[in-house]
Amino acid sequence: MTERTLSHRQRAATLLPVSLLLLVLLPLLLMPLAAIYIFAGSGGWQTFVTSLSQPDAQFSLRFSLLIAFSTALLNAVLGTFAAYVLSKYRFRGREALSVIVNLPVAIPTVVVGTSLLLLWGPIGLLGKFLDPLGIQPMFAPAGVLLAHLFVTFPYMLGAVKPVLDELEVTYEEAAYTIGASRWQTFRFVLLPALRGGLFSGTLLTFAHSLGEFGATVLVSGNLRLRTQTAPLYIFAQFEAGNIEAANAVAAVLATLSFTLFFILLRMTQQPRRSAE
Amino acid sequence: MSIVLTDLTKWFDNNLVVNKVSLEVTDGELFVLLGGSGSGKSTILRLIAGLSIPSSGRIELNGRDVTFLPVQSRGVGFVFQNYSVFRHMTVGENIEFGLRIRKAHLKERRQRTEELLDLVGLAGLGARYAHQLSGGQQQRVALARALAYYPDVLLLDEPFGALDVKIRAQLRTSLKEIQRQLHVTTILVTHDQEEAFELADRIGVIERGHLIEVGAPQELYHHPCSEYVATFVGGGNVLIGREEQGFIRLGDARLPFPPGAPVHDPGSPVRILFRPETVSIQTEPFSEAQKIHILSQGQIVKRIFTGSSQRVLLEVENLEGMRPLASRPEYGQRVTHIEALQPSDASNALDRAWEPGSKLWIGLKQFHVLEPVSLKVLISSESAFTQESAAQFGCQVARTAGGNATVVSVVNSAAEAARRREDLETLRQSWISDLPHLETRVRQGDFNTEIVHEVQEGHYELVVLESHKGGLMPSSLGQQSTVRRLLAASEAAVLLVRKPHPRLERLLICTATGEPGKSDVLFGARIARRANIPTTVFHVLSPQASPVDRRRVERHLSQAQISLNGMGVENTIKIAEGPVMETIVGEIERGGYDLVVIGAPNLFISRPISRPDLAAQIINHAERPVLIVPMIQ
Repeated sequence: MTERTLSHRQRAATLLPVSLLLLVLLPLLLMPLAAIYIFAGSGGWQTFVTSLSQPDAQFSLRFSLLIAFSTALLNAVLGTFAAYVLSKYRFRGREALSVIVNLPVAIPTVVVGTSLLLLWGPIGLLGKFLDPLGIQPMFAPAGVLLAHLFVTFPYMLGAVKPVLDELEVTYEEAAYTIGASRWQTFRFVLLPALRGGLFSGTLLTFAHSLGEFGATVLVSGNLRLRTQTAPLYIFAQFEAGNIEAANAVAAVLATLSFTLFFILLRMTQQPRRSAE
Repeated sequence: MSIVLTDLTKWFDNNLVVNKVSLEVTDGELFVLLGGSGSGKSTILRLIAGLSIPSSGRIELNGRDVTFLPVQSRGVGFVFQNYSVFRHMTVGENIEFGLRIRKAHLKERRQRTEELLDLVGLAGLGARYAHQLSGGQQQRVALARALAYYPDVLLLDEPFGALDVKIRAQLRTSLKEIQRQLHVTTILVTHDQEEAFELADRIGVIERGHLIEVGAPQELYHHPCSEYVATFVGGGNVLIGREEQGFIRLGDARLPFPPGAPVHDPGSPVRILFRPETVSIQTEPFSEAQKIHILSQGQIVKRIFTGSSQRVLLEVENLEGMRPLASRPEYGQRVTHIEALQPSDASNALDRAWEPGSKLWIGLKQFHVLEPVSLKVLISSESAFTQESAAQFGCQVARTAGGNATVVSVVNSAAEAARRREDLETLRQSWISDLPHLETRVRQGDFNTEIVHEVQEGHYELVVLESHKGGLMPSSLGQQSTVRRLLAASEAAVLLVRKPHPRLERLLICTATGEPGKSDVLFGARIARRANIPTTVFHVLSPQASPVDRRRVERHLSQAQISLNGMGVENTIKIAEGPVMETIVGEIERGGYDLVVIGAPNLFISRPISRPDLAAQIINHAERPVLIVPMIQ
């Protein structure tokens, strides 16, 4: 009897904070997300498909995916290398460098865009020498890639470096004594141990790149069918009043992000389970 | 010879971690390096493997000089304490990794893997991952992995350190069998003496980077040469007595020198070691027929039942001329403890007779005499005059302390070195009758650095410096002075000599209370005992001192007296009141002391000097040699 009342009371005690949280989250997170799908579907399936099959929409999605894919790939290599150097070598200025490579997280993306323009733009520090040669990285796909690499760099590092830091030194030393060269040790011993971190880092980079707006809008020049990424397209269509067109792409982008997110979630939980 | 180390030395920044270690390990031998933590034993192993580069010295593996060869091409198998089994590889893949790197055929790899799994007792577990194995099993994988590619030598760094006792015993047995079977030359590093005794063909005992003694387990246990090995290996009683007409005088007992015992000078201290299991105790005096060396009478303090045996702790009143080294007496402790190990007795017949408090006769079935040692003294000699104060007084101290001294000169150029060598030879010749073993050495480089290095490499306990070379300013010891550096970098005491002083007949120990004060008293007492001179222990009490302070000082000094009496040093204790410096200088003048012992205050080592330094003041005012004693841990 007492047990039941107790459990009853306990349940009530749990219910209250949970429902409060839901009440707060509903307008904050859940309803906006739902709104995308509701609006995207409101014109019917047909409108959705036509909106998506616009060449501009098609291009922006494909371009975004291409950029995200390239960014993830490049940063996987760059980030791992950076993590390896920062974690395994002791040199002067290592601390400072560790802070600097993580800086992009703290800098507003618009500032990143501006700084890139000031460096690579036609009148930029380096750009002014490249311009006469006919090389113009800004307002071109290369500029977008540069911006995305910059912005997402810390994510890869953040996913890989802790794993490397945690590996005991003897792990590598064991490989050396067995006869493995530095490269063989990296390839056969360290890299497999990094698998999990590498994968989640790549997904995180991919997801961030897919949604990047602030820096992209500045460096791309927002040129349709040339440098317009999906988020830029959505913004442009909204401004022009084409709510359906914007919504359709937004719904696709959101779905993509959800999928990535769930894979990531599964990924981060799995190695923990298998390790036990 | 599979492994030959020659003068292997490793510095980490300014710490000498491995100090001129020379060692030869024969083919198929299982050699154990035994030492406490931080003794440098693991570093030696890492140097052999190539995981660390030596500062100097040579490493040969199977006749090949590998000193500067990269790890990969040395062909060593290495097992780490934390297993380091590759987590993403199966047990089989781990084992064959070395063969894969060497591009062996799949068939050969598989075959070898199966072979090794059998050997280490993991047959059938080849497909498992590290996280599916216990710690002991993981270490077996690590061992198999290190053996897979037929290494020339096997190096094991505390391989059982992370395992529990039962598994440890099993693995030890397996390792010994495997090593016998494969006949692979092995060095194992451990801090566990039981492990060392059980496994080793030979043991090397290492302390602070120094390979102190090498020998078979039985040899090291029963006949060690050095005191460190005697007390580090196994439980033991070490007592110091004196040579007296061809016998060893230990309190009232007179023991003969056993055959083969090292030669001792008349009247010199003799250290004897006896293991608890060789101590006999009984209620009646020993009879002639028992062939037992009678030591003394004692009282049971404690009896501990440990199953197959019982440990009996006996208390012997500290007799004149006998001093226990192990177990070392507490500061101010009057009695000597002797440990005896007796078989446990089911009949309880002895129980009543052996109650704590009962008086028993203590005898020794056998004992071992350690090599005589003396205080290791380093004397810095900087000018051509053989009459210079530091060298002369230093030699005098060295003579009274047992004659183990080295004179070192630091010079700037090779030409100067040749000249100094001649000067030192003259000095050596002038002392040859008193100090037949005086060594001389010339080093080239910066004075401060070279002196500190020499002290660290030679493990000196006392360094004699000319006071101007000590970097003494009129009122303080400068931050970078040699004295300061020496005290910070070694545990050696520093003797500063300013003016020639002809004799060493009276000693003054100026002591503070607390732990540092104990170091001053004990070190001063060592000198006094060796020199056989009367000693005054002196404390200056501030006029504002409270009765509590006064009582603490009185207690400290009376304990000092007990310690000094125990060591057979004639002593007086004195408390004075007044300003510290003036009072001490006054006492020095009045008492006509030849050597003043003071402690190294802490601020001496870490913080910059904020008040006029006592040592500097005393040496400037009293013009007597001053001995600065660091706090000994």
